[in-house]
Amino acid sequence: MNSEEVEFQVSHPNQEHGLQLPSPTAWPVVLALGVALLLTGMVTSVMVSILGLVLAFLASVGWFRQVLPDEAHQPVEVQAEPVQVSTTRRLATRLPEGSTSRKIIPVETFRITTGIRGGIAGGAAMAVPAAIYSWVKYHSIWYAMNLLAAGGFISWIGASDAFLSEFHLRGLLAALVIHGLTSVLVGLLYGAMLPMFPRYPIVTAGFMAPLLLTGILHSAIAVVSPILNDRIDWFWFIASQIAFGLVCGFVVNLQAKVRTPQFQALPFSVRAGIHGDIHDRLHDESTDSDGEDTSR
Amino acid sequence: MATHIPLDEMHAPQQMGEETHRKLWLEVLHDWVTTVDHKKIGLMYIGYALFFLVVAGFEALLMRIQLAVPNNSFVSPEVFNGLFTMHGTTMVFFVGMPILFGFGNYLIPLMIGARDMAFPRLNAFSFWISAFGGFLLYYSYIGGSGLYGAGSAPDVGWFAYAPLTARVFSPGHSTDYWTLSLLLTGIGTIGTALNIVATIISMRCPGMTMSRLPLLPWLYLVTSGLTFVAVGPLTAAQIMLMLDRYLGSHFFDTQAGGSAVLWMHFFWIFGHPEVYILVLPAFAFANEIIPVFSRKAIFGYPAMVAASVGIGFVSLSVWAHHMFTVGLGPAENTFFVLATMAISVPTGIKIFNWLATLWGGKIQFTVAMMFAIGFLFQFLIAGLTGIMLSVAPFDWQLGNSYFVVAHFHYVLVGAILFMLFSAFYYWYPKITGHMLSEKLGKWHFWLFVIGFHLTFDFMHVPGLLGMPRRIYTYEADRGWMIWNMIISSGAVVQAVATLLFVYNMVISYFKGPLAGPDPWDAWTLEWATSSPPPSYNFAETPEVSSRRPLWDLKHPDDPDSDYESGPGHRRQAKEKSA
Amino acid sequence: MSDVALAPGSTNVTWNPPARGIVGMVCLIIAEAAIFVIFIVAYIYYIGKSLSGPTPKDVLSLPIFTSICLLSSSLTVHAAVSALRRSQQHLCSLWLATTVLLGGIFLAGTAHEWYDLIYNHGLTIRTNLFGTTFYSLVGLHATHVIVGLILLSLALWFSLRGQMQHHHSEKLEVLSLYWHFVDAVWVVVFLVVYVLGR
Repeated sequence: MNSEEVEFQVSHPNQEHGLQLPSPTAWPVVLALGVALLLTGMVTSVMVSILGLVLAFLASVGWFRQVLPDEAHQPVEVQAEPVQVSTTRRLATRLPEGSTSRKIIPVETFRITTGIRGGIAGGAAMAVPAAIYSWVKYHSIWYAMNLLAAGGFISWIGASDAFLSEFHLRGLLAALVIHGLTSVLVGLLYGAMLPMFPRYPIVTAGFMAPLLLTGILHSAIAVVSPILNDRIDWFWFIASQIAFGLVCGFVVNLQAKVRTPQFQALPFSVRAGIHGDIHDRLHDESTDSDGEDTSR
Repeated sequence: MATHIPLDEMHAPQQMGEETHRKLWLEVLHDWVTTVDHKKIGLMYIGYALFFLVVAGFEALLMRIQLAVPNNSFVSPEVFNGLFTMHGTTMVFFVGMPILFGFGNYLIPLMIGARDMAFPRLNAFSFWISAFGGFLLYYSYIGGSGLYGAGSAPDVGWFAYAPLTARVFSPGHSTDYWTLSLLLTGIGTIGTALNIVATIISMRCPGMTMSRLPLLPWLYLVTSGLTFVAVGPLTAAQIMLMLDRYLGSHFFDTQAGGSAVLWMHFFWIFGHPEVYILVLPAFAFANEIIPVFSRKAIFGYPAMVAASVGIGFVSLSVWAHHMFTVGLGPAENTFFVLATMAISVPTGIKIFNWLATLWGGKIQFTVAMMFAIGFLFQFLIAGLTGIMLSVAPFDWQLGNSYFVVAHFHYVLVGAILFMLFSAFYYWYPKITGHMLSEKLGKWHFWLFVIGFHLTFDFMHVPGLLGMPRRIYTYEADRGWMIWNMIISSGAVVQAVATLLFVYNMVISYFKGPLAGPDPWDAWTLEWATSSPPPSYNFAETPEVSSRRPLWDLKHPDDPDSDYESGPGHRRQAKEKSA
Repeated sequence: MSDVALAPGSTNVTWNPPARGIVGMVCLIIAEAAIFVIFIVAYIYYIGKSLSGPTPKDVLSLPIFTSICLLSSSLTVHAAVSALRRSQQHLCSLWLATTVLLGGIFLAGTAHEWYDLIYNHGLTIRTNLFGTTFYSLVGLHATHVIVGLILLSLALWFSLRGQMQHHHSEKLEVLSLYWHFVDAVWVVVFLVVYVLGR
């Protein structure tokens, strides 16, 4: 886009000429004062504004003449004071040869998208207990859906059970949006936490996902229509959340683990599975000696 | 120009001739006023913000004295209105923004290995115009054309809802002072934000790709991006208000068909992203400080970046949760409730990542780390009350009560101010070359924690009991008495702690032990130069190959670049292990 | 200190971050766009809400000629930049002069329109909501045109004096970015005020 000489003049003015720093200048402060006085005149008197205008004009001219055609620089002397940056006060003690000196956690984990997939699958699964509940209680599978959709339509808050048992296209769409969004959000949050709990996804999801879901979905329902909140059957609600969690975990478990970049840093024998000391390393917290920095 | 150059020439030989010659105070002043050095400008930002912090803190104390007991007449209602308006405006625009931009100014070029900001002169201009904005606001106490020639401060609240600001309801110039000073700082804020973005994008040292950028510049990038889209609307709304007041237009004039609610929308389109503009730099400090004192690299760097950008975007769509009590209608309410709740997802990711960074680390409980951990706890609680308030029916009950005041002070003080103190303890050695006293610092921390919790934990209670914000007094039989007494006494404890902090800063500057370039054994580039850094920052432009360049230097046998994903690095790592 | 430069594994990849002038101008444009968005939202929100006349239908006529002038000035400023890039300084001056002229015509057109509205139709910023939003939105845009014209005239001045060299082409490009933005805003303002609002 630009020629080379423009490049260094503009973005790195100091590289070629030793140490050239922009020279100090009073024009910015004068311009600022001018503009400030210009506005201050609006609450005091016109004279102040005129003074501000004059100052601002003078400063603009001065500033321009300093920057154009070439920016003013002044040379700065480098103090010959060596800074020992490359040393550290505490030297890290190294572990014996053959082992990386870093604790590597986690070596394998799931992708964040895995969590989203799990969330969507769980969201679909959650519909099953909800439909069963609706059928058992109100002999219509649409009741739970309409209950959720009522969040979007204020007029449905006082609606009768009979009305909520019918099928409404609007209800289906609204419920899909609300439920889909929450499922994806819960999945996303869960996916982001997966690297912290890389193992046993079914158990973690069975526990974590309902927890997150209660946090997000349930509070949201309470918000959107507190009256509807009264109609929710808690037993079934929690049952469907657990269904969500288990299916979510199951789906996550199906997905392949990905190897984090750290895996690449392991010695070849470990990666090839000859030593297989990944788990030892993961849990061997005590191998750290005191002076050493723990990493990752 | 004509007056400027001779001055410069006069100074130059003097400085060259006698290095040890003590400069006259006028020369020092001239140096500071004309400086374009990002470090000096950053320090001026911080100093100016600290000055206003003391001023606005003093206003808060006056209000707490007034509210400590029922039926008090320590200040008059008019003065009280002025106090809460000035306290809010000052804290947001003349403390929060400048202090965060000050740290950004000081640290970003150092952290990315640059010699200065992208536009050094614009940087100076932005600072000065913000500063003049602050002085103009406080000049209203003298020049605000109140009764009988006395001054009067703005008294319309920091969000200045519409009918109150009309000429009819706010005669004189007090509201104009507010508008004009915010316009001035708005210019400065946009200028600095622009400068920060251009610096981060264009001035990085060789090798520092965006995926190796330390998290502090990353978050400042998001904050600055937010600043454009948030301060722009504020400026627009202020222009409209000025047109209404000066030229008689009808933007917010309900009698001519204008809308008062439109002002609310415009203000909060600025107002809510503003909260994130203030809190993201606090997150940025945490991202630097927590890893260093856990002796671990930050956990989940890409997730942290993604969450910050996510917060930036979502925060633009939550403004109307400040307006649930207006009666927006169910569809709007639902949207803003859900958006507000959705923002807790990226925020949650951040908290988990900080916890994971702490997990298994060798935590060093320095004062900076203690403040950071306090931040984690308090930010969590502030987030929880935030979720409570995001629930529209709950907000209908508690909107504009002391519960809301407690909630946002929990964010502003419990999270942001705590992280700011942490940043002071962490970077003070770099800035001055002297360590802050850890002993005084621990006193400061514990006193402040106690004062903070006394004030703001108990402030939730009168809110739940129905005490509205911005009342200047209350009757004795309301049952709010004891709570207000506790709150006010907590405020005094906080004031004492802050004085201790100021004392620590002053005494350590003269007597603190020398810090050396890298007292915390940290990993980012600012610790690779002397403390305080020379005006040119780095004698040679550094070159980096990982997110923790100083780690690589300190541990050449085990550099970070082996572990960070990237095209060239895997190969290296393989060679190494083979 | 120079040790910092010698981080292990450093590669000699060419390091070419984006030019700061362009980044800065893009940031400024984003901020300005936010300001315009608010004024445009206010305009749209108040369409048809004036309590009294005159209404846009009565008094506004399409400023087609001046709009064409303004929009074509985007092309001429672009031509000026590319001329400077090829070191054709005289051509650059010519294109800059054309740009200033076209911008001037637009500004004169707006001034004429305002004169007509104020003195023949009695529409001022105080008259009604239409007047309020119209003058503030179009006035805000005109302010930007004026600022742009001042800067372009300065550039023209430097160019005529032969002080504009090839290595200034980036600075001129930054200015042209601003001018493109001003033109793009006019497209939106035109659509909102003269098409949607009428």
